[in-house]
Amino acid sequence: MSVSARVPLLSLRQISKRFGAVEALVGVDVDVHAHEVVALVGDNGAGKSTLAKIISGVLAPDSGIIEIGGEEQTIASPSAAHALGIATVFQDLALAGNLDVTSNIFLGRELTDGMLLDDGKMEQVARQILRDLTLRIPSVRTPLSELSAGQRQAVAIARTLIGSPRIVVLDEPTAALSVAQTAEVLTYIERLRDLGLGVILISHNMNDVRAVSDRIEVLRHGRNNGSFDAATASYESILAAITGATTLSESLVRHSAAMR
Amino acid sequence: MSGSQSSLREANRALIVETVHRHGGLTQVELAGATGLSAATVSTIVKELLAAGVVDTRSTTRSGRRAQMVTLARRVGLAVGIHIGHRHMRIALGDVTHEVVAEQTLPLPHEHRVDTSLDRAALLIADLLERVGSSLDEVVGIGIGVPAPVDAATGMISVRGIMRGWDEVHIAHVLSKRLARPVFVDNDANLGALAESALGASRGYRDSVYVRASYGTGAGIVLGGQLHRGFAGTAGEIGHVQVDPQGDICRCGSRGCLDTVVGAQALLEPLRASHGTMALRDVIQRAMDGDPGCARVIADAGASIGAVVAGLAMAVNPQCVVVGGELAETGEMLLGPLREAIRQRVLLNQIAPLEVLPAELGHRAEVIGAIELVLQSTDFVLRSDEPVRALAEAVGDD
Repeated sequence: MSVSARVPLLSLRQISKRFGAVEALVGVDVDVHAHEVVALVGDNGAGKSTLAKIISGVLAPDSGIIEIGGEEQTIASPSAAHALGIATVFQDLALAGNLDVTSNIFLGRELTDGMLLDDGKMEQVARQILRDLTLRIPSVRTPLSELSAGQRQAVAIARTLIGSPRIVVLDEPTAALSVAQTAEVLTYIERLRDLGLGVILISHNMNDVRAVSDRIEVLRHGRNNGSFDAATASYESILAAITGATTLSESLVRHSAAMR
Repeated sequence: MSGSQSSLREANRALIVETVHRHGGLTQVELAGATGLSAATVSTIVKELLAAGVVDTRSTTRSGRRAQMVTLARRVGLAVGIHIGHRHMRIALGDVTHEVVAEQTLPLPHEHRVDTSLDRAALLIADLLERVGSSLDEVVGIGIGVPAPVDAATGMISVRGIMRGWDEVHIAHVLSKRLARPVFVDNDANLGALAESALGASRGYRDSVYVRASYGTGAGIVLGGQLHRGFAGTAGEIGHVQVDPQGDICRCGSRGCLDTVVGAQALLEPLRASHGTMALRDVIQRAMDGDPGCARVIADAGASIGAVVAGLAMAVNPQCVVVGGELAETGEMLLGPLREAIRQRVLLNQIAPLEVLPAELGHRAEVIGAIELVLQSTDFVLRSDEPVRALAEAVGDD
């Protein structure tokens, strides 16, 4: 196991959450560092979405500690999460179809010049963000409804860069996208990582996950069931952890044996 | 017209060309939105560029309305270039003048599967063609570069084990079945050599070697202006020259190959204790940002590669060695020790000193080489009135 002296951007320790009789998360640990993409994978019901909602302030954990930049924090609400530097893109994207790209990027966080909206400035910033992420959206004035699914996903991701977050959570960003659109989104994720952000990627698609992630955390029935180095772990070993063919202790033994 | 006005016009013109290039094809309305210029300015400049033969326009529809799509001008016919690397796939559409009119990169997992990757390549090609408003009919051929030696006759990888899962696969056949176009396969360092020799750093030379320093190392040899592949296509496989008799076992089955010393895994391993787990591009970026540990790893790699390239240079006596691939992004950090290692070992001659040069085409060398391979392999005639369909048929079926 590699030793890193860096303090994680986000550290979750022993996070638990139950809904009535259902234990959605049981003692889950996850770390995310700067310049890193951590994938959260697991079957349906493994707890991935619950964990994402806790990180983005939509839900509160029943127990456990959350540290941001080494300091213990409570993420009380989505705006609190945003203030703490966490940006989230959920599957439904939460964008306004009738507005254009610029307006969507600044939705809820519009720039003002005195009392009026500073449209010129917003357009300029929007173009710059699109350039930074090298997004293939030709015009910031296009209404969202005219964009393809992949382009809308791109706008949702571009939106996360408003407010200079340090951590970005992406929930199933490539579900229902074509290969070309997936290629674009994966390239943006690489770029977010190279810009120094910590990215949490939740996805079912093992190709995508293994293509851009540094580390893959497997959840199973609300518990950690393995941590894999994406550059060397085989698809089969990760799948085995997802399905429960291997358990955490087994994969740890295998992992440390491989490291020797 | 005052000086500042005409230079503004120039700047706007350049901006429009660059924007069209970046997106492959845009309507005039989209161009206005993307550049911030007025619709009238865009229209005027597009007319000028059309007259100058820099762009083409064609009618298209955007949300039910007719629009004018602007693309870079193409001489008849398109070629597709694919580079399948270890962790990325890059696909480019080019025309006969080697202008890349559209490209797309897809990150790939480690040990990506051949069937999935080729399927995705086919889908990406279809998307790129749609992006520039073209169709498969206009594609004259498809070139693919892979990081393994290829037997030109069969288009198959000629050494087992280098790309797991890709042995025994008729790469050209698999792809041409999907796309009904002729497919040509070659080693990616060979294609880099082809591209740099045609358009890049070695274009002034008859005899040159191109070295690709990436996740693995390879070389392409150009003699008398022609690519030298060798009998089974393994000419230039410097990654599998033994440099350490007591070294690790390589994928190819031998011990202590150059790749076991300067391949991506070998470069990352010594940095694990001090820097944690990194990707290859992190090492390159940090080295360029001044991290001494990463810089040291790159420099040592340059020396190791140079020692092996020296042997190749002694055998082949090229006029220059062009160095490309991801590691070469560090510039002199890699090239300095590489050049020095060659200098210490290669016979100095009076006629032409061996030059060691950085590649000019960057990360596109392989796809441009793949496009060049297609253009060389298909009997391409530059006549704008000749229907492309007849040409493609004349070239042959899959």
